[in-house]
Amino acid sequence: MSLIVAAFGFGLVSMSIIAISAVGFTMQFGITNMINLAYGQVMIASAYAAYAVNNAGVSIWLSLPVGAIFGAVFSFLLNRLVYAPFQRKGTNLIGMVIISLAVSLVIANVMLPIVGYYSVSYHQNPGTTYHLGSIALTGEQILIIVLAVVVMLVIYALLRFTRLGKAMRATAANPTLARNCGIPTARVVDLAWLITGALCGLAGTVAGMNSDSFSVASGSEFLIPIIAASILGGAGSPYGAMIGAVLIGEMTEISAAIISPEYKQVVAFAVLVLVMVLRPQGLLAKRGALAAAG
Amino acid sequence: MTYYLTTVLVYAAVDILACLAISLQFGVSGIVNFSFIIFQAAGAYTAAVLSLPRDTANGGFQTYILGLNLSFPLPWIAATLVGALLAPPIGLVVLRRLRSDYQAIAMLVLSVIASLVVTNTPAFLGGAAGLSLVPQPLSDKFNPYSDGYLWAYTAGALVLAVVVFFIAQRIINSPYGRSLRALRENEVAAKALGKNAVALKMTVFVVGGAIAGLSGAILVGFITTWAPSTWLYPETLILFAAVIVGGRGNNFGAVLGALLVPVGFEEATRYLPPFGPPGLIPALEWVCIGGLILGFLWFRPRGVLPERRRVFAARPQPVVAGEPNAGRD
Repeated sequence: MSLIVAAFGFGLVSMSIIAISAVGFTMQFGITNMINLAYGQVMIASAYAAYAVNNAGVSIWLSLPVGAIFGAVFSFLLNRLVYAPFQRKGTNLIGMVIISLAVSLVIANVMLPIVGYYSVSYHQNPGTTYHLGSIALTGEQILIIVLAVVVMLVIYALLRFTRLGKAMRATAANPTLARNCGIPTARVVDLAWLITGALCGLAGTVAGMNSDSFSVASGSEFLIPIIAASILGGAGSPYGAMIGAVLIGEMTEISAAIISPEYKQVVAFAVLVLVMVLRPQGLLAKRGALAAAG
Repeated sequence: MTYYLTTVLVYAAVDILACLAISLQFGVSGIVNFSFIIFQAAGAYTAAVLSLPRDTANGGFQTYILGLNLSFPLPWIAATLVGALLAPPIGLVVLRRLRSDYQAIAMLVLSVIASLVVTNTPAFLGGAAGLSLVPQPLSDKFNPYSDGYLWAYTAGALVLAVVVFFIAQRIINSPYGRSLRALRENEVAAKALGKNAVALKMTVFVVGGAIAGLSGAILVGFITTWAPSTWLYPETLILFAAVIVGGRGNNFGAVLGALLVPVGFEEATRYLPPFGPPGLIPALEWVCIGGLILGFLWFRPRGVLPERRRVFAARPQPVVAGEPNAGRD
């Protein structure tokens, strides 16, 4: 029993990391209507950017913004240089999926010769371990949880109370109508890529901090719980992604304690299959991954 | 030299089979099967465990299920069947209600997970080390290392590729192929004309799975080993690159793509002088594959040999005014 309680504690950390990344992932889908499969690779590229700074002697907490900024700029350029031109050309949905997978492959293999094949880990001080019953978390893990909560609140405030957030929601709901109402959708999309890219970079760095080590190959591993959380919550819905992250984070960690850590991803996948069979639109979205009626 | 030539030709036959299957699924019907490689892997594993003796043989250095020691052609037939039978369960989850791009993602995730499960379950299919010493077909009757055997194997593989090519050709020129194209171009319109979209997609999914299973059996019978590292998900993307370059929806394009991309790349890098640190060339190869996909989708989305545009004559219209029935048949 205490094993499961301890796993619940790790689940809190997992869900924080998944939440930051899944909110970014699902917002990219909601606003641009395409799935960015290169997301995991951008995460890992940002983690390496933070590693470069961290390795030069800067504290990991000060390297974190570097990862976020790198992710923002990288995602912005990715959209401007690759995705947006293809979308303007009228490439269909499956074309865009193939393109983003090809992009992901290119990023991973351009990175390999630069950063090497071996895994690296941050120079960090996990801090003292705090105990609460069987739950044992390091100071750093607690800070990650706090960071995730703050980020979620910021995203909520952004979408709920600012003009930009309103414009983003309008663009996501109906881009043509939004444009006709005078919303500069091109600029909104640019900003959306910057914001979601920052989330992606942040998540990549935090994921790197929480794991013993990471390598280029970690990129595709990151993606599975993110996809599962986004689709479970309802693709395109940021609040759905938060709920999805909570559920997937806890389920994977508790199953790791009960079954085996090797099957964490399999549990995330099993949830994904169930959602796709029973409720493709997810928990909160109207459309989600559901096909158009016809 | 014989060994080299036959290896290239067997790989060519396997890649042609795979590209024909992808062209049927992706080119003709618009299904992005990112888990294609697991169908090939399923075929290869089936053929391997059916032709291998029990895993206690050979000193028991590898573990796997079955080990029935069946003789050729039973393992190949079973591989084809398993490839086909794998399709309905996946199709039922994926093809029914999901948006086309989420179908692709679901299959991509499946491909990653399948490889993870097989790697972490050594008792099932040999785990990460995979299976080796798979007996070649008919190796109890002929010497599998003689030139004659290698050429015969190659000829057999190429004949199967040609047979499948003609089957694929029949499919795309049949009314069934026409329905698939209608579905790809406009699913709502096709459904409105009474086409059962899910059933149509499912059949092409099964046909593609069968071809993939057969291609896996041919490959494993020749190279005699099979492991998770040979069927990672990016391998599917190479085949997609081939079909996109060759021309999707056109079987000649699929064959050309198979010869240009998987076979051509492998052979081109073989003759490249080694440069840079180890691993640089494979990494650059992958960058080129990605670049090839992006480049072709941007500059020539229909490929080198585009699908033939099919134009159907309109029904003759009444020509003479005042005579409502003129020109009707």
